[in-house]
Amino acid sequence: MDKINVVRQSPLTREDQSDPASKLTVQLSKLLPALLRHAILIFFTAIILYPVLWMVFASFKTPGEVISNIWGLPTSLNLDSYVSAWARANLGTALLNSLFVSVGTVALVVVLSSIAGYAFAKFQFRFRALILLIFIFTMQAPTPVIPLYVLFVKLGLTDSYLGLILGTASGGIPLSIFIFQAYFQSIPSELREAAKIDGCSELVAFLRVVMPISGPAVATVAILQFVGAWNDFFLSLLLIRSPEMRTVPLALQVFFYEFGRVEWNSVFAALSIGTIPMCILYLVLQRWFIQGLTAGSLKG
Amino acid sequence: MASITTSVQRDSPRGSWGFRLGKLSPYLWILPALVLYSVFKLGPLIGGLVLSVLRWDGIEDPVFVGLQNFERIFSDDIVGLALTHNVLYALGTVTGKIVLALFLALLLNQGMRGRAFYRTSLFMPVVMSFVVISILWSWLYNPDFGLINSLFKSLGLDFLALNWLGDTDIALGALIIVDIWKWYGFHMVIFLAGLQTIPVELYEAARIDGASNRQQLRYITLPLLKPVMVVNVTLSLAGAFNVFDIPFIMTQGGPANATMVMAVHIYLRGFKFYRFGYSAALNYVLLVIVTLVSALQLRLMSSNDGD
Repeated sequence: MDKINVVRQSPLTREDQSDPASKLTVQLSKLLPALLRHAILIFFTAIILYPVLWMVFASFKTPGEVISNIWGLPTSLNLDSYVSAWARANLGTALLNSLFVSVGTVALVVVLSSIAGYAFAKFQFRFRALILLIFIFTMQAPTPVIPLYVLFVKLGLTDSYLGLILGTASGGIPLSIFIFQAYFQSIPSELREAAKIDGCSELVAFLRVVMPISGPAVATVAILQFVGAWNDFFLSLLLIRSPEMRTVPLALQVFFYEFGRVEWNSVFAALSIGTIPMCILYLVLQRWFIQGLTAGSLKG
Repeated sequence: MASITTSVQRDSPRGSWGFRLGKLSPYLWILPALVLYSVFKLGPLIGGLVLSVLRWDGIEDPVFVGLQNFERIFSDDIVGLALTHNVLYALGTVTGKIVLALFLALLLNQGMRGRAFYRTSLFMPVVMSFVVISILWSWLYNPDFGLINSLFKSLGLDFLALNWLGDTDIALGALIIVDIWKWYGFHMVIFLAGLQTIPVELYEAARIDGASNRQQLRYITLPLLKPVMVVNVTLSLAGAFNVFDIPFIMTQGGPANATMVMAVHIYLRGFKFYRFGYSAALNYVLLVIVTLVSALQLRLMSSNDGD
């Protein structure tokens, strides 16, 4: 905030000596850029918000209205599209499937990567640097599709929650470990030493002393993994064959391919059902979401 | 292994057993995560090498064909096309995201009213799935009833009312716009965080020395933003080479392969044409490129630390 004041003061100090007329133009020119800045920001914000709002509007329109009344608000709240989308895209089941997979993924990643992150933060061991390097180099690498698919088939994990959870969680492991590691490094070692002097084993010290104060790191990892798992399309596309196992993104894509040409209002209703829960969660917890979803990039 | 160690150590003093376990213990902590990651991430990366020397449709017995699959990559016209599209996609998305995000971040960093509103709104597409975004944009791009063409027509700009996804010349560009739309708020937030780390004193000192706003931007802001710039560029670069969801859902690589990118090509070779071995081999082309990007990132990051 101080920075801003500094920048703002600079023209003023110079113009103080000038006559009132030029003072007025200065005021205007100060006002105009501010207006201009807002105009630009509003333009780019509208580009984001309008299509999303419009998607919700269109879901209440009749199929004919989607085409005839493109820009406007729906003339009536037509809920047929929701009934139709809910039933035909089997969205109730899909939402539950997505919830199971996302919660399972979050739980697995938080447990495994917090334990591992603690070891990387607090212990010295021989292959520490090597293992970290392997993570860094492979985490962004595209996983070969067919080998991945063959692996899941051989393990009998296609068409199952467990397969989706293991597959999604494995991808999230390295970044989550880095987040936990950075957080644990910021916790003073004295805490752990004190617990150990009191007779706690390393594991008990970790569970009783370190984890209870690691809420922020847990939240960061949990949000990152939850959003990733909830929105994952590729793994579902690869592994899920039976309609009743589809997650939300897969159910939406199949519905779009089947009805996208005929019943757009139902497609928009399905999209709204698929998007609104996450968007509400985002708006409620926006600070945490923004912090969590950018955590990987800001760690530096 | 473990059982042997315990039986041997049984009657030796407790201290030495504890010592042994102590040495092993860090590995025990990382083992579960490492196993999961090795099986599902490293496994396919390494196992793919085996698959890539086979000819296999997933049903009949695989046949060993040596390096044939890799040789075939060079005669596959679509590979060249797809790689070109990946490069164009990377150029378009990286430039678009960085320029737009930096511009908006600089605007927002001036302590505007409504800052929180702008930030929250611009970041929102990040939590939306690619599937929703792709389907939504398929409709926005609809040549007859889409929002975009109806906007241009109502403004009298009929010549801009194009067949966005159906025209081979512009379809890739249309997908690039969708990708930028999803991510510019994300990159803006990262730039904003970077801007906040620049000490105010630097600007004060520069002002005393008579530096203009533009000079402050050129000599203070941009150089000090380099670390977040590296992050933003490499993140979007890796994303551009891995891109799958948007072209797969919106165009399936069409029309006439105009939006075919590597990841879609690899998927279709595998699951539409059942060339399992060849698809696995193709993966390594992409892998080499993305690994180079990661290496570049690591290099640039560490050169930052040196400064």
